[in-house]
Amino acid sequence: MSAEREIAVDYLARVEGEGAMYLRLKDDEVLDLQFKIFEPPRFFEAFLRGRRFQEAPDITARICGICPVAYQTSACNAMEHAADVILPAELLDLRRILYCGEWIESHGLHVYFLHAPDFLGYESGIAMAGDHPDRVKAGLRLKKLGNHIMTVLGGREIHPINVKVGGFYRTPATEELQALVPELEWALQAAIDTASWVAGFPFPEFERDYEYVAVRHPDRYGVEDGRIISNRGIDIAPEQWREVFEESHVAWSNALHAHVKERGSYHVGPMARYSLNFEQLTPLAQKAALDSGLGPTCSNPFRSIVVRAVEIVFAIEEILSIIDRYRRPAAPAVPVVADGRIGHGVSEAPRGILYHRYEIDDAGLISDAQIVPPTSQNQLSIEDDLRHFVPPHAHLEDKDLQWQLEQAIRNYDPCISCATHFLDLTVERET
Amino acid sequence: MRIVIGVGNPFRSDDAAGLEVARRLTNVTAYESSLGGFELMDLWQGADEVVIVDAMHSKSEPGTIRVYNPLDQPLPTATFASSHAIGVAETIEMARRLGRLPARLSVYGIEAETLTSGTTVSPAVAAAVERVVEELDHA
Repeated sequence: MSAEREIAVDYLARVEGEGAMYLRLKDDEVLDLQFKIFEPPRFFEAFLRGRRFQEAPDITARICGICPVAYQTSACNAMEHAADVILPAELLDLRRILYCGEWIESHGLHVYFLHAPDFLGYESGIAMAGDHPDRVKAGLRLKKLGNHIMTVLGGREIHPINVKVGGFYRTPATEELQALVPELEWALQAAIDTASWVAGFPFPEFERDYEYVAVRHPDRYGVEDGRIISNRGIDIAPEQWREVFEESHVAWSNALHAHVKERGSYHVGPMARYSLNFEQLTPLAQKAALDSGLGPTCSNPFRSIVVRAVEIVFAIEEILSIIDRYRRPAAPAVPVVADGRIGHGVSEAPRGILYHRYEIDDAGLISDAQIVPPTSQNQLSIEDDLRHFVPPHAHLEDKDLQWQLEQAIRNYDPCISCATHFLDLTVERET
Repeated sequence: MRIVIGVGNPFRSDDAAGLEVARRLTNVTAYESSLGGFELMDLWQGADEVVIVDAMHSKSEPGTIRVYNPLDQPLPTATFASSHAIGVAETIEMARRLGRLPARLSVYGIEAETLTSGTTVSPAVAAAVERVVEELDHA
């Protein structure tokens, strides 16, 4: 008779925020499994009540220091959609450059410093730097470029101050963007090299049949706006989010779990975007993907590191092509009046879809807010991955199994601080 | 060239000790860093001598000043923990492996009393800030 085993990771390393994992199994049967988010809730949706709708981008940006542009963009989209305003193409282009800068910074951090050490057997990016200094230097330089792009477009590298509902406070002169080109050209080759490097990592054999959900734009790879689609038939406008998805609370997580109504878990993020929108990637990004051994879809979550590297290639190529056609817009922003409306906005944060919904009263004040970050949406998928991964790997020693399970969680680049912005806190008291 | 980098979060009470020092210095080039992560390597690029000032929590008396020489041995990471994953101690270790440490480097730690939300430092820490400013400005 075999005994039960417990594997508990009290504090997950190399994720943003505070989370834990608990697994109880007997032989290859999983008895209990929890991806726990214990970072305290942060009540952002409640802070927003009573604030002017124009303040939402700057307030929600504070939810995350890694992906503030995602929060600013989804908030702007919600307000602009509420007011039936569509930004001129040049302003949308600038928003896209800023957003791609955030992808480069966030993916650069994850690929080089959070995820690569898993595959190469190091406990941290710092430990890895001793043996792979040139790779780590390239990673730092890529990440710095992402931050620099955010500074040029957003006024500073974290929590940009130049974004407003309706556009920007100031648009960059053509020369300011041209000045980015030499470093972007270096970065393009460095990103292609990165994709080829990470493609050679040892990946566990593990495929999942996910419902992938991502933003779809009619004529470009979905980043800053679009419809919401899935590989199981979802094709909706952002305002229909609540018709298809819902959130629920579980006792072991301070972040709400999101699921497709009457269906269950779904997967957002780079793998979903890639698999749903591959044909919209830029040419060199497609080539880097195929050269790295990826097909037009990817269902091994451990290969998400390759997909992120491919998306860095895409982001750089995309910025270069926008800079090439850039003409400084006549005005930095267009007027937006959202008083008395309800607005919904989505965009593709580095980790996946970020949905915002606001009710705005007749005085222009927010009366209700809902924010659904990607990590909340991925929690069920993370747990499903672990549940599927354990049985065929149950023969591993505890420490080896734990290493691989932690790696499986980091496949999602989870941002726990984002996930715990939520409003409802359930307190159970025994009497 | 000698530079001073003050590290801290301006919204976390005594955590701002390093920033307060950087703001008060008049005779030396000083930078404020609210991140304290890998950007430090860019800030000290080209400097021969670097002094970092940061709040610490080592269970000493609030306002205690301690000077570390991380060229000799790594900083104690628990004492210089960052609210973000990558702080001063981690950045110094990264720089050591990449060959990007300055020729001379010291870290002044100022023991914090409280790290709660707030934009003022407590009296013991304010006094320590003045002492460190005095020392660095006249070094």
